[in-house]
Amino acid sequence: MTMTPVNLSSTVADDEPPVSLWRDAWHRLLRNKLAVAGLAVVILLAFVAVFGPWLTPYDFLTQDLSARNQAPSLAHLFGTDDLGRDVFSRVVYGTRTAFVVAIVVTAIAVVIGVTLGAMAGFFGGMFDRVVMWFTDMTMSVPNLLLVVVINASLKTPITAWMEARYQATLNPFYRETIWVDFLLVFGSMALISWPPYARLVRAQVLSIRGRPYVTAARALGLTNRLILMRYIVPNAIGPLIVSVSAGLGTAMVLESAFSFLGVGVNPPTPSWGNMISDGLRVWQHYPHLLAAPAAVLGLATVAFSFLGDGLNDALNPRGSK
Amino acid sequence: MAAEPLIKVENLVKHFVVRLGAFGERGATVYAVDDVSFDIFAGETLSLVGESGCGKSTTGFTLLNLQKATSGKVIFQGENIVSLDEKRMRPYRRELQIVFQDPYSTLNPRMTIGEVVGEPILFHKLATKAELPECVSRLLADVGLPARFAQRYPHELSGGQRQRVAIARALACQPKFIVCDEAISALDVSVQAQIINLLLDLQEKYGLTYLFIAHDLAVVRHISTRVGVMYLGRMAELATREQLFSNPLHPYTRALLSAVPEADPELEKTRQRQILTGDVPSPLAPPAGCRFHTRCPIAMDKCKAVVPEWREVVPGHHVSCHAVGMETAG
Amino acid sequence: MTAPADNKPLLDVRGLTIEIDTRRGPAVIVDGINLTVGKGETLGVVGESGCGKSLTMLSLVRLLPNKIRVKGGTAEFAGRDLLKMSKSELRQVRGGKIGFVFQDPMTSLNPVMRIGDQLCEPLIYHRKMNKADARVRAIELLRLVGIPGPEQRIEAYPHELSGGMRQRVMIAIGLACDPELLIADEPTTALDVTIQAQIVDLVKDLRKKLNMSVVWITHDLALIAGLVDRVAVLYAGTVVEDAPVNELFARPTHPYTRGLLASIPKLSDERASRLSSIGGTPPEPGRRPKGCPFAPRCGLAESVCHERVPVLEPVAGSGGHRVACFVAQRQMMEAA
Repeated sequence: MTMTPVNLSSTVADDEPPVSLWRDAWHRLLRNKLAVAGLAVVILLAFVAVFGPWLTPYDFLTQDLSARNQAPSLAHLFGTDDLGRDVFSRVVYGTRTAFVVAIVVTAIAVVIGVTLGAMAGFFGGMFDRVVMWFTDMTMSVPNLLLVVVINASLKTPITAWMEARYQATLNPFYRETIWVDFLLVFGSMALISWPPYARLVRAQVLSIRGRPYVTAARALGLTNRLILMRYIVPNAIGPLIVSVSAGLGTAMVLESAFSFLGVGVNPPTPSWGNMISDGLRVWQHYPHLLAAPAAVLGLATVAFSFLGDGLNDALNPRGSK
Repeated sequence: MAAEPLIKVENLVKHFVVRLGAFGERGATVYAVDDVSFDIFAGETLSLVGESGCGKSTTGFTLLNLQKATSGKVIFQGENIVSLDEKRMRPYRRELQIVFQDPYSTLNPRMTIGEVVGEPILFHKLATKAELPECVSRLLADVGLPARFAQRYPHELSGGQRQRVAIARALACQPKFIVCDEAISALDVSVQAQIINLLLDLQEKYGLTYLFIAHDLAVVRHISTRVGVMYLGRMAELATREQLFSNPLHPYTRALLSAVPEADPELEKTRQRQILTGDVPSPLAPPAGCRFHTRCPIAMDKCKAVVPEWREVVPGHHVSCHAVGMETAG
Repeated sequence: MTAPADNKPLLDVRGLTIEIDTRRGPAVIVDGINLTVGKGETLGVVGESGCGKSLTMLSLVRLLPNKIRVKGGTAEFAGRDLLKMSKSELRQVRGGKIGFVFQDPMTSLNPVMRIGDQLCEPLIYHRKMNKADARVRAIELLRLVGIPGPEQRIEAYPHELSGGMRQRVMIAIGLACDPELLIADEPTTALDVTIQAQIVDLVKDLRKKLNMSVVWITHDLALIAGLVDRVAVLYAGTVVEDAPVNELFARPTHPYTRGLLASIPKLSDERASRLSSIGGTPPEPGRRPKGCPFAPRCGLAESVCHERVPVLEPVAGSGGHRVACFVAQRQMMEAA
């Protein structure tokens, strides 16, 4: 028997190393200048969030009533506020707040969303219908309303309980209201953030489940678990990465918005949102108090959005097969 | 041809229920495959042809139990495999393989060629991890690809090369039977010829049996032992290659053959073609009686009411048409 | 069958070069194509996917996708260079003097517009017809392309029609303004064989009736055998052979054309005989060989084929048959 002779030289050049889709996407991302700029800003902000306390010359809570409302100077890069606190230090600490909230909220939302979405897409049927009904219902409630309701109904009892615990144990931990803030912020924001992930993952799984390579895997007799882990998840993860990148930015904006409205992180814990809120009252006299947190929030939002767009172009290139 | 068929398909039916309306309140049934019976013999190539929506691909999928049959039997090694659940089906999966049409979505884009071809070998424990690289290169050699392709990703390959990999993946299970679902339809003419030759070579080498699902009659004529013609979910005609192409009995088969263009300008200019009018009716509401009667040039009143019987008119030549044999009988 | 030689061709494409942006920078994808279409002539453009056949035609009306652009050449249509026309002149040509029919009738028709409105649009725009006249003409066109009950069908949306019917509507839109040239890009590839036969017969019939020129782009040599007057075979962005249809099938000269014809299964073949196939795959853009683009896959290639690019030259002793191949040309010289 003779094998059909094949000349393969024209497609794959031997000297080029194999390129996985991930690596291909990484190269595409690096060629996108805006995305690289976004990535650089995100890395910088993350660095500031982690190492902030070692970077700032002042403590964010230390008041210096002799130096109130100072304009930006070498001593105070972004000036000081009405209590004489260093605005630069507060913005840096606000970065930490923003990142902690964004990462924790997005992580909770992704875990809930991916689990529910993947199961709904893979198993279908009644489970799918219930999950999607629940998703739609959550999405149909106005976000802000939900958060306000949660805050109003839970904050007082929790604070009261913490105070009671403090009276009983005298453990200073129960006086740290910052944990209550974070708990409520994380909880309520995660509650409104997971449905889009669930929908995205469900749609991905549904579309991948019907692709010939999954059918081929079934025809090979592979188990459901193997098919899910090796065929469906790796192919569904690209759009999820894009969505998570955009979601982190959205979560930061949300946190700021809630803090601005007084239903998020409350003073004295610095958040860009409550700093903007404070600055807004006096902006005509001390514009730097508004400008500093607003500019950093704007920078972070734009950076995440550029990075998200770049990831989208890199991971889901149009017109490629 | 062995007397005992490798696979026996008996009265196979596959209906899909689709939900219509904004709330899915109306259900409608797609009559994709309706009461189809045929045998597949070891070592042969049985082709199924027909236009889109005729149920030929669904027949292939249902036969492999990749879609649950509505009713009917598929007997393989004494077992009705369409009644098995996924777990009990697993041992049979290894022996019954499939190659798909679209070379761009047939391979998992996140796996290297080596992983694609190696996966079934490891899963079915056909070789140890240490033997794996050698097994993979042997399989790649079988389909005419160099061993170094094992490190490549699917997107680095051309359509024809990907289709070779898909064939290698099917071969990795050491199957007896492969369904080729439009396996060459998406390829360019010159590459098509390569893959046809490859399929023929592999059939000789490993004694494979093919169910070849296609719409290109010229290709089917080239590689088949027997050919089944399907129309709207039913089998219209089934015969050996010689019988079908030299003496087509069903009016639909005749129309189909006459619609195929020939690569000969002189012939094409003089050739009298019988061109069917109209379109294939919706499989949601197939016509009563013979499903072809709405387009049939020789339809009679009886065709509109009575489903023609599936009968063997000459040994090996099955047809379902009221008109066939009338001249001789009457 | 061919257009009279003294007449200027209706469409005269010379040295058309098209570039695409790839990861490694711009790459030539159509390399100096020459094509002519005479008045009333039907030209078949044959080639495999990626050979540039569709891009060539799209470039004529400047509808190339992003990242792909014309790098050089001219395309005279009725004496005017399409590639240098102003946008407003070009709009008059698109859908007016040149009609287009695309491969996939589902995505080429606007799904939210009634087919009647889609048909009337070019009439109102190009022909300055009023709505009532356009509607009358639209019904006439639907009847012309063999759609039963055109008075009712004109109100239908594309999804209410079958694939074959949608392609007829596409053809009706292409014909709406009595084009001098109809460019059909794989119009039957998405259709079943019995429907394909209907569409081929329809175009054959219309071409005679309307006395227009047709360019039929396809990958299927068998399909155009009975349909066209002349065939141009494209390979990797160049015309490798150009001949009257009978001549091409009787005396295919370029090794690629011969390989292509040989790889089509035939009636007379024994079962399971091996088809002669062309090994390998066409070069990717950016990886074009230095010499003849077909040389790496060619069984007859000599050292000159890897060095220089052959140009289209007439085949001795036959009218209008041209081939771009060093070996074939030398063999003919030796035979003469």
